[in-house]
Amino acid sequence: MFTQKKGLALAGLVVGVGLAILAFLGNPPNMAMCAACFIRDMAGSLKLHTAAPVQYFRPEIVGLVVGSFLIAVATREYRSTAGSSPMTRFVLGFIMMIGALVFLGCPLRMVIRMAAGDLNAWVGLIGFVLGVGTGALFLKRGFSLGREYDTNKAAGAVLPILLIAGLVISIATAAFVVSETGPGSKHAPWLAALVVALVVGALAQKARICFASGLRNAFLVRDFEMLLPIAGMFVVMVIYNLATGSFKLSFDGQPIAHSQHLWNILGLYAVGLGAVLAGGCPLRQMILAGQGSCDGAVTFLGMLVGAAFAHNFGLAGAAAAAATAETAAVAGGPAFAGQVVLVCGIVVLLVIGAANVRRQKAAASAPAATKVPALDADEAAPAAN
Amino acid sequence: MGKAMPHVVATFYTTTAALAMQRAGARHGLRGRLAPIPRQLSAGCGFAWREPAAGGEEAVAAAADAVRTALEVEGIEAEGVVLLDL
Repeated sequence: MFTQKKGLALAGLVVGVGLAILAFLGNPPNMAMCAACFIRDMAGSLKLHTAAPVQYFRPEIVGLVVGSFLIAVATREYRSTAGSSPMTRFVLGFIMMIGALVFLGCPLRMVIRMAAGDLNAWVGLIGFVLGVGTGALFLKRGFSLGREYDTNKAAGAVLPILLIAGLVISIATAAFVVSETGPGSKHAPWLAALVVALVVGALAQKARICFASGLRNAFLVRDFEMLLPIAGMFVVMVIYNLATGSFKLSFDGQPIAHSQHLWNILGLYAVGLGAVLAGGCPLRQMILAGQGSCDGAVTFLGMLVGAAFAHNFGLAGAAAAAATAETAAVAGGPAFAGQVVLVCGIVVLLVIGAANVRRQKAAASAPAATKVPALDADEAAPAAN
Repeated sequence: MGKAMPHVVATFYTTTAALAMQRAGARHGLRGRLAPIPRQLSAGCGFAWREPAAGGEEAVAAAADAVRTALEVEGIEAEGVVLLDL
């Protein structure tokens, strides 16, 4: 069913319903699900950082990866692969996370915020589109991190198993930290969160949902098919927000957001560019990791460490807040350290892009000795990104 | 949704190779286009070349030859070339 446009749109609608359920059951405002924020919460729960408001071992992260893993195994799409510039991908994951936490959300949360009328997210979309566009230019010039190779079957299952173990520890013991206030304290019941995320992970795997690839395809081959699931979830979240009175069209007063437009744009620019270079947005990296990509798992680790850095060293953006009797108003946005690291991160992304274009040029100048596979109508050939 | 038609589909290990095929397709006068890789072929979200091959066995052979020639002449590494109704 996911080979047809209707199926893709339907997948988006179902994912949107899942997001609405999580929002209704208590996840933070305009944060029904967010790859970046939830990985950050997970880093906090593991004491990789000690920012008290954002510490919780999110079952959603487990569900996304394991949902992808289970459906990939069930439909024989599980394929353990590795070897496509893993350390470069670690760095890409790290920088994507810094950018996302400056903006305060991954592209998934950007869409959720847009659906709630948060105009700051619409401004951030400009940066995301520009970032994906820049990445597309690198691809056109010959950027590649190299192909993945098949590896030991068990290797691709390591991350899903580790996450399941973490979830069991989180539920059965008090070993991991849980925020008492702030976003980390707001969460749907763990079982509901896990079940919804398992479904979303499975659907994202089957529909190949990726916020960056949807735009990349539009830029490179004028194909808009992969934007359909995103449109579907956007529509459902708009309806949910209107129905619950959560829709507010404004820059100010938006939950867990700020109006530092330049930094919203640059934050998501880094995410968009990093996502195209890495072959997928933060959500897609977790789905790839679930279906066996060790490179996707390494990118996930880069995001986890990036989240820890962002909060240990004050790099993440602060949410804007109105004045109260006790506290002054807060404009929000990243502190100077976050601004410096984000700009440096973008420079590193551009360097990674340029460096890997040169390598391809060198490869292209080598004598052609291409082996073309024979036409095979019976056996489907798997292909990498 | 239109009726499915036979296509010769070339898949690639990297997006770079797929984009090289896009340029090669134009140079070699192929009728196909680069598009997202069919979901029945891969769990990836990359690109594949889709060359129309409607018109019976001869048309399929001609399309396959044209695709293979473009790949070989341009030195583009393909992962697979398959016949698929799309």
